[in-house]
Amino acid sequence: MDLSRYAALFLTESREQLSACGQALLDWERTPSAVEPVVSLFRAMHTFKGMAAAMGYANLTELAHRTESVLDLLRSDPAAGRELIDLFFRITDALEQGVAGAMEGGDAKLNFTPLLAELDQASVSTTPTGSWAIPARAAEPAGPAAGAGAREIRVTIRSGAVMKGARAMLALRRAESLGSVTALRPQPAAFEQEDFDGHFSFMLQTPADENEITAALRASGEVAEVAFGSAAAEPAAEAAARGRQIRIDLRRLDALMNQVGELVVAKGRLAELAEASDSPELKAVATRISRVTGDLHGEVVQARMTPVWQVFDRFPRVVRDLARQLGRRVRFEVEGEETQLDRAILDDLGEPLIHLLRNAVDHGVERPAARKKAGKPEEGLIRISAASDRTTVLIRVIDDGKGIDRSRVLPEAIAAGMLPAGATEVPDDVLLRVLSRPGYSTAEKVTDVSGRGMGMDAVISKVRALGGSVEVQTAPGTGSTFTLRLPMTLAIVRALLARVGEERYAIPLSGIAETVEFLPDRVAALEGREAYVLRDTLVPTVRLRDRFGVTGARPAGRVPAVIVEVGDRRAALVVDALVGQQEIVVEPFDAPKGTLPLFSGATILGDGAPALIVDPAALV
Amino acid sequence: MSHTVLVCDDAIFMRTMISDILAQAGFEVVGEAETGREAVEKYRQLKPDLVTMDIVMPDMGGIEAVREICKDDADARILMCSAMGQQALVVEAIQAGAKDFVVKPFQPSRVLEAVQRVLG
Repeated sequence: MDLSRYAALFLTESREQLSACGQALLDWERTPSAVEPVVSLFRAMHTFKGMAAAMGYANLTELAHRTESVLDLLRSDPAAGRELIDLFFRITDALEQGVAGAMEGGDAKLNFTPLLAELDQASVSTTPTGSWAIPARAAEPAGPAAGAGAREIRVTIRSGAVMKGARAMLALRRAESLGSVTALRPQPAAFEQEDFDGHFSFMLQTPADENEITAALRASGEVAEVAFGSAAAEPAAEAAARGRQIRIDLRRLDALMNQVGELVVAKGRLAELAEASDSPELKAVATRISRVTGDLHGEVVQARMTPVWQVFDRFPRVVRDLARQLGRRVRFEVEGEETQLDRAILDDLGEPLIHLLRNAVDHGVERPAARKKAGKPEEGLIRISAASDRTTVLIRVIDDGKGIDRSRVLPEAIAAGMLPAGATEVPDDVLLRVLSRPGYSTAEKVTDVSGRGMGMDAVISKVRALGGSVEVQTAPGTGSTFTLRLPMTLAIVRALLARVGEERYAIPLSGIAETVEFLPDRVAALEGREAYVLRDTLVPTVRLRDRFGVTGARPAGRVPAVIVEVGDRRAALVVDALVGQQEIVVEPFDAPKGTLPLFSGATILGDGAPALIVDPAALV
Repeated sequence: MSHTVLVCDDAIFMRTMISDILAQAGFEVVGEAETGREAVEKYRQLKPDLVTMDIVMPDMGGIEAVREICKDDADARILMCSAMGQQALVVEAIQAGAKDFVVKPFQPSRVLEAVQRVLG
């Protein structure tokens, strides 16, 4: 039997489970005596173990199993395990690395001996005194005493399980072996339906205690959760809204998107041909294909939409670790984690956002003593939020720290010519430009966390490459907010094609204000740079021939200029000729070393020729 | 001492695969049956620790065989082997007394997990 077929699924699901472990650990750390985090952790660890075992990864399974055993004991007294939280964090990390290691070089090479020894030691050293060594406490205030009437039990079958109804039936039979089952919901007939969602509840009259019941139900396999009491059951509406889903390999979706991209380009060519033709049938077909292609594109884009939590999920852990390392106290909040974004954009956002979070911990939030002195709560707040309107997603990283000291930025801005000499204030947009200069850092001293100014320039160029922008607001003493404004999807944009030398370049229409004829008598100077008189304003000119290093004959006669606009900054891009408008498919772009940092991507034009996509933000 | 198993399936391919999986895990496959009727007879004769039972078989189906076997031995440990999309039948088999199920295509570890549950 070929297990490699299951490898991809294992990788995705095990990461989900381990990420759930991380989240549960953070919750546990915050509320050391709460039971729910330990139960979640136990559950995720257990599920992970099952998957690792199915893949035949003995070492991973062993570590997960031993961890689970300790957790099992801790479920009755979570507070007793608070000293172990750090160990569990390290185990989660080790498992995560182990998954990657096992898939590359096999499980046999993994060595978890030190962690297993720590687990053993933890168990041994705590057993004599720790009450958690006793699985169930004698007096369980939450649960009714043994034999005291029937209690409600809600069971959830693991979402990935096959035949949830049959699995539920097995669990039910186990329950029946413990006592008498009544008030079964849903009706037994529902268990035979293929779309049974795996949630059911019943009343059980039994002398067995909750641990015994849980163990018995779990023994029927694939049981994700056993809950007691009548706490609000999951609303049926919510369950229904989840709809039916299947997993799809992301590469499939990417391939589909590429095909749709090709289709869009071909559609453009067809429209041109139809336009030039006299045939009404051809025109009709071209229109229809155009419409269907548009719809298809919309559907594929929709399918690629991914909730941001898939990337945000690891941030609580990142912030926690940084805060510990740097001696800060930080409360971390996440908002809008269901906000959707094109997977391709989302995947590239992880690093920039971690940079921003690092900055927030390292340069934003002050040390507890300093905060106290400033009359602020010792615990700082960092919040990441996501929200969307129709076409744009806004992601904000907010801290309530000390803000950026503009007096330190001012001389830098003046020296760089961004502000006139004698300026006394640094507007937010200039501030960002200073921060985004490679190598610039406002850190008072270099730390191994934020490094020397690594970060903002990388963040900004990454976000721009994705077609987005970055804004900063900051106030001394009250904190900073970095706002990332991102398109909800990339992949296909309308662009103006311009020729410079032999090559054609694409300029996204979203960044273009207008096109004009470039009249030599309107060239003036602005702060020592060449500028163009556009009606009553001066716009800096960028001669793309010079920028791109194009040699050869210049076009005779007048040339056009493309006025690009980013925020409130503009530039006149002087090109050789305008070629036309086209929908272009943005291809991921890993600029080869030495490429000018002026391009945000590449595309294939309708006639098959490649073209670079000009990044207006890099030119204004 | 290793557990004894009776493997019931009308397809040789499936019997071979299941037998391989179980044999590799240290079980002793003591018999095979091609029909439900044969399964019932062999169960009486061999008293295996475990039975793997296909649902759809000629001459008495798997569910009927489960019923017959459980009539003699309520503690019989029977693991149903089902294809996707037979949930209603699996539910019926469980009500008839089957102790667990696996779904084709088989993943050996899943099969063995189910077997452990049945025997445990």
